[in-house]
Amino acid sequence: MPLVKTPKATWSQKLKRFFMIDLIKGLGLTFKYNLGAITDKDAVAGKGIYTEQYPKVRPDVAPRFHGAPRLNMDPETHDTLCIACNLCALACPEDCIDVIAMDVEIIVAGKPRRKKVLDEFIFDTSRCMFCALCQEACPTACLELTQEFELATYSRAGFVWNREMLEQGRETVKYTS
Amino acid sequence: MLVLGPVNVLNDLLLRFFSQETINFFIWPLIQIGLVVTLVALWVAYATYLERKISAFIQARLGPMRVGPWGLLQPIADGLKLLVKEDFIPENADRWIFFFAPYIAVASAFIVFSVIPFGPDWAVIADVNIGLLLVLAVSSVGVLALILAGWSSNSKYALLGGLRSSAQMVSYEVAMGLALIGALMFARTLSLSGIIIAQGSDSIWYVLYQPAGFLLFLISGIAENNRAPFDLPEAESELVAGFHTEYSGMRWSLFFMAEYAAMVVVSAVAATVYLGGWYFPFVYRLELAGHHNLYVLVSLLVFLVKVSIILYIYFWLRWTLPRFRYDQLMDIGWKWLIPSALINIALSAIAIFLVQALNGWRGMRTIETLDRGLNLTASGKVIMIVIGFAGLFITAALLSRINWRSRDFNLKTQRRNIRLVNLPKGKPAVSASEV
Repeated sequence: MPLVKTPKATWSQKLKRFFMIDLIKGLGLTFKYNLGAITDKDAVAGKGIYTEQYPKVRPDVAPRFHGAPRLNMDPETHDTLCIACNLCALACPEDCIDVIAMDVEIIVAGKPRRKKVLDEFIFDTSRCMFCALCQEACPTACLELTQEFELATYSRAGFVWNREMLEQGRETVKYTS
Repeated sequence: MLVLGPVNVLNDLLLRFFSQETINFFIWPLIQIGLVVTLVALWVAYATYLERKISAFIQARLGPMRVGPWGLLQPIADGLKLLVKEDFIPENADRWIFFFAPYIAVASAFIVFSVIPFGPDWAVIADVNIGLLLVLAVSSVGVLALILAGWSSNSKYALLGGLRSSAQMVSYEVAMGLALIGALMFARTLSLSGIIIAQGSDSIWYVLYQPAGFLLFLISGIAENNRAPFDLPEAESELVAGFHTEYSGMRWSLFFMAEYAAMVVVSAVAATVYLGGWYFPFVYRLELAGHHNLYVLVSLLVFLVKVSIILYIYFWLRWTLPRFRYDQLMDIGWKWLIPSALINIALSAIAIFLVQALNGWRGMRTIETLDRGLNLTASGKVIMIVIGFAGLFITAALLSRINWRSRDFNLKTQRRNIRLVNLPKGKPAVSASEV
């Protein structure tokens, strides 16, 4: 005698079992998916193919995604927009930005003056948590976190981006097929 | 004759070197065997591709896409990879048995293709008059390969997989053979071509006379091939990979090939016996005078399409149903399939007896001829089809009545019952204070 009483099957449950309705339902569901994949209907409704062909087709990144850093340049003169104010380095909670400035003598209105100019910009992406506080701090909209996400390198040293990499962007292999 | 041309030219060329008899009994069969082996091997390779694609579609994925357009060269890449991989033999394995087990598997799967009628006339290698018997006998030798592979690997997983597969195949073979007998009663021959011709001269598919037989054959065929939902011998979650755990490289791929080839064999037999073989659906007298070879090619194509549909059902079921528990598997085999196959035989015997008895009763004609199988008139067919489909429900009702105790097999309940037996009598299991 079973200790746990199982509820007695109703007549409709028995009929369902006899005609294997659940089996047919399951087969119908998988067949629906198969048909949907062949005809490739709307993927959101669960009737198409979800797979992204990543290297061939670039994926859509979320609008608020922060990726690889970039130092913007003046589009006409191609001079850097950075004024070496060090605000980004101060804002960085991970302390991963080093702004190395140099003093330059310039003549302003006939008088010699000294000015800070950007010499080198070190950005350690291995420590960066992509919070974009540096982007917020930048007064000239120079430092920006782009939507590039391919940051993998072969060595630890590769994660440390210098000024040239930040300005020109890093070269990655583009797959076409 | 465009299609006939090369065949005749080849025949003339061969006649310079051999006699017509040698050509008919030696050269042509050799050409047929070569064609069938290469094409079937290719087909098997692409069955793996199709399986991957269909499983991907069912799961809203894309499947192989990178090798060739739509991943069409994937099976070839896989084959090349497996060919150059290391063929590893475990240290304590029984070397020779381990070495030869895959060959037995592949041979037993491929020998069967010698009697499969891919089409009329020259599209069948050997029309043996015990064709169906040969199919069943040779394909059951495949079990031996699995047992030997499991035993010789010297690994617990492989051994358990081999044991399971032997138990499963032996028990489902019975149901498979019994399911076919019903159709043989109508065909009155064991030759596979003969069965097709009997269906053609009766202008019907035996799936209509024998729906229960067809279902039983399909289910036991799936179980016979160790396919999901009956893939207990290679249950990944319990047995790693079952009997081929220790195999690698080409030897492993031979097992894979054997599995897919066996699937094609079962589908081909199902198409032959129940779906009218190479006959075009609903058109049984298609042959035009003078276009014989074209007719053979069209029939070949029809047969392949039918086999592909059954193969699709295989894949479909695999990616829909979860795996059975072992006791459920044995339950289905012994308590459901074999008795229902026996009931099916009895019912078809009664149906045939009824039709024969009704022939001539009050001027009713049910039988046309008995020369090439059982040829029925329209009224005879209606009676037979009605009995066939009623048989499905009769069988199911009868068996669910017989098996009503074992239907809700509940291990938990059983364990509780066993525990209850050992309890000292007169004392409650849980004292009142604790509650």
